[in-house]
Amino acid sequence: MLVQFYNVSKVYPNGVKALDDISLKIDRGEFIFLMGSSGAGKSTLVKMLFREEVPTRGQIFVASRSVVRMKRSEVPQLRRNMGVVFQDFKLLENKTVTENIAFAMKVVGTKNKEIGPRTAEVIQMVGLKGKEDSFPGQLSGGEQQRVGIARAIANRPLLLIADEPTGNLDLDTAQEIMELLYDINRKGTTVVMATHARELVKTAGKRILTLEAGRVLSDVSGQELL
Amino acid sequence: MMKFKNLGYFFREALKSLSRNSLLSIATISTMTICIMLLGAAVLMTINTGNFMNRLESDIEIVAFLDNSLSKSEMSDIKDEIEKLDGVESVAFVSKQEALENVQKKFNDADYDLGKTLGKNPLPDTYTVKAENPKEVAALAQNVKAIPGVYKVNYGQGVVERLFQVTKWVRIISIGFIVLLAMGAVFLIATTIRLAIFARRKEIYLMKLIGSTDWFVRWPFFIEGIMLGLVGAAISVGLLAVGYSALVSSMQTALFFIPLVNQQNILISLYLGLLATGAFLGIMGTFISLNRFLDV
Repeated sequence: MLVQFYNVSKVYPNGVKALDDISLKIDRGEFIFLMGSSGAGKSTLVKMLFREEVPTRGQIFVASRSVVRMKRSEVPQLRRNMGVVFQDFKLLENKTVTENIAFAMKVVGTKNKEIGPRTAEVIQMVGLKGKEDSFPGQLSGGEQQRVGIARAIANRPLLLIADEPTGNLDLDTAQEIMELLYDINRKGTTVVMATHARELVKTAGKRILTLEAGRVLSDVSGQELL
Repeated sequence: MMKFKNLGYFFREALKSLSRNSLLSIATISTMTICIMLLGAAVLMTINTGNFMNRLESDIEIVAFLDNSLSKSEMSDIKDEIEKLDGVESVAFVSKQEALENVQKKFNDADYDLGKTLGKNPLPDTYTVKAENPKEVAALAQNVKAIPGVYKVNYGQGVVERLFQVTKWVRIISIGFIVLLAMGAVFLIATTIRLAIFARRKEIYLMKLIGSTDWFVRWPFFIEGIMLGLVGAAISVGLLAVGYSALVSSMQTALFFIPLVNQQNILISLYLGLLATGAFLGIMGTFISLNRFLDV
C-alpha cells in the first residue's frame, strides 16, 4: 500500500470545507484518476500527498510514514519520492530543457556525473530528443508538458502526481500526454492524476475516484469499467 | 547545513541572480550604502560626543580651601587624610602664592602687580583633588569637607549635577538613534531583497516541491545578500573615511577646541564594524524576506 487516507477532513482558515471525512487507499503500481468539478477537493487532496497542505483531522500515510506527524525537516525526504506535474507546467523560463530537468536533480543532491546521463535518458523517454537546448518559450504546450513530466520522473519517484496535466492542452495533445503517463505507469510508477477531462478518463480503463463537495461520490476500479 | 560540494553551485547561483537582476541589485546596494552611511555618521557622532563628554567630566575637580592658621605638618596631615579617602585619584597642593600668580596670569599684564594692589595675599592655601570616578565627586567632596582644617570645598556644585544629566541623556538619545537607524536599515533592505526573491518565487516553490531542503534554497540568497551588504558597506565606508579625515583636518585648524577622535585603531575598528554590519544586514534582510516563501 503506497497511500492511505483515514477520515481526512480539511477546513481552510477562511471556513471553506475542502475535504470531508475522506478515506482511501492507493496500491503501488496503480493508476488512479481523481475526478470532480472544480471546488470538489481534488487539488486539496493532491496537495496533501506532498504535504503542501495538512489535514485538519484524520491521518495520511505515504509509504507507511505519517505525513501528518512528519517534522518539517522530514518533508524534503517525502517529496523526493514523488514527482509533480502541473497544469501550467511551471518550467523555469530562463533555463533550457536540459537545465530544467538537471535543476530538479541538482536540488535533491544528485551527483553531477549522474545528472548528465539521466537527463539524456528522460529526454529520450518523453520524446524530446533534439529539443535539449530549447527554452520553454520556444516549445509548444504539449512539448512543455513533456519537459514537466521528464522533470517529475528524473528522480525516479515512487509516486507521480499530475494535477490537471492536460488542462491547458488540446485533445490530441492531451491524448499523447496520457499515453506518456500510461507508459510511465507500466514501468512501475504509481500515478495519481486529478482531472475533469471526462473524455480522456472514460476510455482509459483505470480506477476513477470521483469527489463532490469534499466527499467521495464514487470509487470505481478499472475492471468494473470494462 | 551547507555541504562543501554545493559551495560552487551556491556562488554561481548567487552571481547569476545578481547579474540577472542588476537593477534590483543596484537599488539594494544604494539603499545599503545610504543606511550604513547614516549609521556610520551616527556612530562617529556618538563616539565624538562621548569623547567630549568624557573630557568635560574628567575636568571636574574638588578644591579644598584650608584654614589660614595651619602649620606645615598639619597641612601634610590633611593631605594624608584626603589620600586615604576612597575614590581619590590625585591630590595636588596649590599654595596661596601660586594661587595669586594664577590670578595674576589671568590679567595678563606684566606691568600691573596684583600683589601690591592687594597688599596682603587674601587667597588661602588649597588642595586640588581629582576623583577616580567623576560621578562620585559630590560624595567625595563631603568627605573632604569633613576633615578638620578644611573650611570649604568647591567643585562646581549644581553645575556638575546638571552636566551629568545632560551627558546621560545625550548618550541615551544617540544610542536610541543608532538603534532606530539600524532597524530602519533592516526594514529597507528586507523590502528590496523581497522584491528580488518575489521575482523568483516560482523557482523557490518548485525547489521546495521537488524536495530540496530549506538551506539549499537559502544559501544562494544569503550569499547574494552578503555580497550586496558588503559592497554597499564598502562604498559607504570609503565615503565616510574620506569625508571624516577631511573634517578632522579642517577642524584641527579652524575649531581646534573641539577635539575630534582621530585614533586610527578606533576608526579602523569602526570601519570594519560597518562592513560586518553590512553583511549582517544583508543576511537579516534576506532571512526576513525569504522565510515567507519557504513555507511550502
